[in-house]
Amino acid sequence: MTTLSINDFTTETTAKAPDRMMPQKAGVALWRPMFAMALMGFAIGFILSLVRAGMISNGEDPLEIAAFGHYVPAAMFFGFASVFAAISFAIAKILGESRVGGGSVQEATGTEVATLKMPGTAKAFIVLMAMATMIIHAAVVLHVVAGVSIAAGDWTPVQAEQWTIWLEAARRFGTVLYLFAITLGLVTIAKVIRFQTFRLRQVADRA
Amino acid sequence: MAVAFNKLVTPATDDYRTVADHSKVAIGIGVVGVALAMIVAAISLVAANDVGSGGEDAAQLLALGFGLETLAVVTIKVGIAVALVGILVRLWLRIESVKVSLATLRPTDHGNGSAIGDIETEYGAVTVSKTPPASLPIHKMARTMWFPMLVMGPMLVAAGVVTSVVWSNNIGTRTGLGAAGWTQGMQFLGEGLVLAGISFLLGSILASLREGGGEVQQALGLRVTTLKMPATAKAFVVLMMAGLMISMAQFGLYLYTLTFDTVAEITPWWAWLGPLRELGLALLLSGIVLALATIANVLGFQFSRIRSIAATGEWETSS
Repeated sequence: MTTLSINDFTTETTAKAPDRMMPQKAGVALWRPMFAMALMGFAIGFILSLVRAGMISNGEDPLEIAAFGHYVPAAMFFGFASVFAAISFAIAKILGESRVGGGSVQEATGTEVATLKMPGTAKAFIVLMAMATMIIHAAVVLHVVAGVSIAAGDWTPVQAEQWTIWLEAARRFGTVLYLFAITLGLVTIAKVIRFQTFRLRQVADRA
Repeated sequence: MAVAFNKLVTPATDDYRTVADHSKVAIGIGVVGVALAMIVAAISLVAANDVGSGGEDAAQLLALGFGLETLAVVTIKVGIAVALVGILVRLWLRIESVKVSLATLRPTDHGNGSAIGDIETEYGAVTVSKTPPASLPIHKMARTMWFPMLVMGPMLVAAGVVTSVVWSNNIGTRTGLGAAGWTQGMQFLGEGLVLAGISFLLGSILASLREGGGEVQQALGLRVTTLKMPATAKAFVVLMMAGLMISMAQFGLYLYTLTFDTVAEITPWWAWLGPLRELGLALLLSGIVLALATIANVLGFQFSRIRSIAATGEWETSS
C-alpha cells in the first residue's frame, strides 16, 4: 500500500499563525447573503410558476405565457447560482478555519507554523466556480431579455424556441461546472485534513 | 448491512501515512459527468439548429438530452459523495493523530478547566461533562441512511434514462407523454435521494467530529466539552426533510397527472410541477449550505479547544 510523508506536501513556514486568504475571507462574509438570495430566488421562481399555471388554465395570452416561461427559470436559476455560491463560500469558510486553526495550534506549541500552500485543486475550484457563476448568471439575464422580447412580440416563435433551448443548455452546463468545482473544493478539504494529520505527528515527535 | 457500509467511511488501516484514492476517484467521476454534460450541450445545439431549419427532430433530441443531463448531474453528485467519504476516512485518522500528539504536547502543569454544566463560548453554547455525550438520533440516522440513498438515487436516474429513450421515440403519442411524466418524476426523485445521501454524509461528518472530540478529551483524562447542536444544524435537518418530502411528492404528482385524459389537463400541472421538483432540490441544497457552515463552526470550536489544551493543558477531570 502506498504511503506518504510530510515532505510530500508543499508548505510555507511562518513564525505566527497565518490569516485567512482572500477567498476564505470572502467565504466568511458571503455565505449568508448568498444563502438568503437563494431562498428568495426559489420562492419567487415557484410563485411565478404558479402564476403561469393559472394563465395556462385560464387560456390567457400565449405570448405572456411564453414570456413567463422564461421568467420562471430566470428566478429559479438565480436561486441555484446563489445556493451553489453559498456552498462554495461555506467550503472556503471551512478551509479558512483549517488554515487559521491549524496555524494557531502550532503557534500554541511554540513551534514554527507550517501551512499547506494553496493546492491546484483549490485554484481550479475558484476558476471553475467563477466560470460557472458567469455562465448561469448570463443565462438568467438572457432569460429575462428573452421574456421581455417575447412579450413585446419582437421575436418569432422559432426564435423564441431556439433561445429557450440555448439558454437551457447554458444553465445546465453551468450547473454541472459548479458541481465539479464543489467536488474540487471538497477534495481540497480532504487534502488539508491529511496534511494536518501529518503535521500534528511531526510537531509531537519534535517536542 | 449497516456495519458493511460503515467500513467504507472508516480507515482500512491505522497507519495515517496510507494513501486513500477517494480524491482521485471523486475527480474521475466528476470528469465523466462533465464529459456527459458536454455531449448533452452538443445535443441541445443540434436541436436548436433543427428548430431553426424547420426540422422535426428537436423534440426527440431534447427528450433524450433531458435524461442524459440528469444522469450527468447525478454522476457528479456521486463524485461529491465519494469526496465526502474520503473526508470522513481522513477525519478518523486525524482524530487519532490529535489524540497521540496532544498526549505528548500537553503541559504537565495545568489547571482544572470548566465546571460540569453548560457554558457560552464564541462558537455557541457548549456542555461540559465527565464522559462523552451519547450519539444524537439524527447522527445514527445519518450513518444508516447515506448508503441506501446513494444506491437508490442513481438507480432511479438510470431508469429515467431508459424512459427518456421511450419518450424520445414516442413524441406526440400517449406512450410518449407517459414516458415524459415517468422520466421527469423518477429522475428528480433520484436526484433528491442522492442529495439526501450527501446530506446524510455531511451529518456523519458532524457525528464523527462530535464523537472524535469526545474521544480525544476522554483519552487525555479531561472533562469533555461538546458544542450543543447549533441553530444551523437544526435548520439543516428541517430543510433536508422538507426537500426530500417535496422530491417524493412531485414523483407522486407526476404519476397522478398521467391519469388525466387530455394534454390540456396535464399542461397546467406540469407548468408548476417542473419548478416544484426544482424547489425540492433547492431545499436540499440549502440544507447542505447550513451543514457545511455548521462543520466550519465545529472545526473552529475544536481548534480553539486543541489550542487551549496544547497551551495550558486545561479541562482536566480530577481536581
